[in-house]
Amino acid sequence: MTVVTLGSGKSGTGHAATDRAARVGACLVRATNGETAALSEIVRELNPLLWRVARGEGLTAEESADVVQTTWLELLRRLHEIRSPQALTSWLVTTTRREAWRVRELSRRQAPDGAAQLESAPDPDPGPSERLLADERDQVLWRHVQRLPERCRKLLHVVAHVARPDYAVVAEALGMPVGSIGPTRGRCLAKLREMLQADPGWSGL
Amino acid sequence: MTNSADLPLDDDDQAVLDWLAEVYALLDPPPADLDERVLFAIALDGVDAEVARLSEQLTVGSGARGSERTSTITFDADSRAVMITVTDRADGLVRIDGWLAPAAALRVELRLPEPAQPRIVIANAAGRFTFDGVSRGLAQLLVHPAADDAGVRVVTPAFSL
Repeated sequence: MTVVTLGSGKSGTGHAATDRAARVGACLVRATNGETAALSEIVRELNPLLWRVARGEGLTAEESADVVQTTWLELLRRLHEIRSPQALTSWLVTTTRREAWRVRELSRRQAPDGAAQLESAPDPDPGPSERLLADERDQVLWRHVQRLPERCRKLLHVVAHVARPDYAVVAEALGMPVGSIGPTRGRCLAKLREMLQADPGWSGL
Repeated sequence: MTNSADLPLDDDDQAVLDWLAEVYALLDPPPADLDERVLFAIALDGVDAEVARLSEQLTVGSGARGSERTSTITFDADSRAVMITVTDRADGLVRIDGWLAPAAALRVELRLPEPAQPRIVIANAAGRFTFDGVSRGLAQLLVHPAADDAGVRVVTPAFSL
C-alpha cells in the first residue's frame, strides 16, 4: 500500500482514550451536581461535531447553532441519566439529530410550497467551493473529496470531527451500521489517499 | 465487544481526517460565537429547567437612518410559550416587551452575561412584561414557576439583542 506523507494536520491522537474518558467522566459528575460550568471543556470539544450533524440534516448555519444550543440545554435535565462519556456523546448526537428534524419540519410547514422544497433539500456537503480555500494543498484535498461517492463524503464529513474513541457511538447515533463504518471509513480514506497520490498537482508533502 | 469501527486508524488516516476537519472548518465554519452562546446558556445555577425552543424569529426595519428596527422572537416550551418584541432605542439600548401564553403573573428573569446582574420583573395578569434600557449582547429568559407550583422554570436559549 502506498503511503502518502502528509504535511498538515495533527498526527496521532496525543491522548489515550482512557484519559479522555476519565476527564469527561469527572466533568459529568461535577455538572450533575449543579456545576454546569464543568461542561465547558466538553462543550468546546463536541460543538463542532454537533453543529455539523445539524448541518448534515439540511439546516442553515443559524438554525444549526440554535439546535446545538437547545441540545445542551436539554442535556442539563438529563445529566443524571448519563453514566459514561460515550453515552454522553451518543445522547448529544442523537438529540441534535432529532432537534434538527424538528426544526426542518417546522420550517417546511411555515414556508410556502416552492420555498419548502428548496429548503428541505438534503445538504450533505453544505458549503461552497474550493475558491474559498487559499491554500493550494487544501484545494487539492477538497477537489478529491468531492469526487468520492456520496456515502464516503457524508461519512467523512461527520467522522472528521469525532474523537477516536467515539467513532462507534457516533456511527450508531447517526444510524450507520456500526459494523460497516470501520471498513467504509477505511475504504474511503484509502481511496482518497490514492487519488491524492495520483494527482500531479499534489506535492506529496 | 469489539467491532471494526473500534479498530485503530493508522496515523496517516488520522492525519487526513484531522486535515479534512480543518478544511470543513474553513469552507463552512460554525458561527464564531457558538461556544460562547452555549456556555452562557447553560451557565444556570441548577439543572432543573424546561427548554423553550426558538420557533420563530422575525425582524422588521433596518435600524438605519432612524427607521425603527424590531425583532419578534417566539419560544415554545411544553408548558408555556414566551414571545418577545425587541425594539431599538435611540440611545443604543433596547426595550423588550414580552408576553407569556398561557398568561400568568410569574417572575420573569432576564439573564445577561457577567458582570451584569440578572433583571427580574413580574408579568401582569395578562402575562405581559417589559425590560427597558437593556444593553445589546447575549441574553436569556427564565420564567419561574409560582411559589405554590411544583413545576420547573422555563428557560430559553441564549439570543442576541
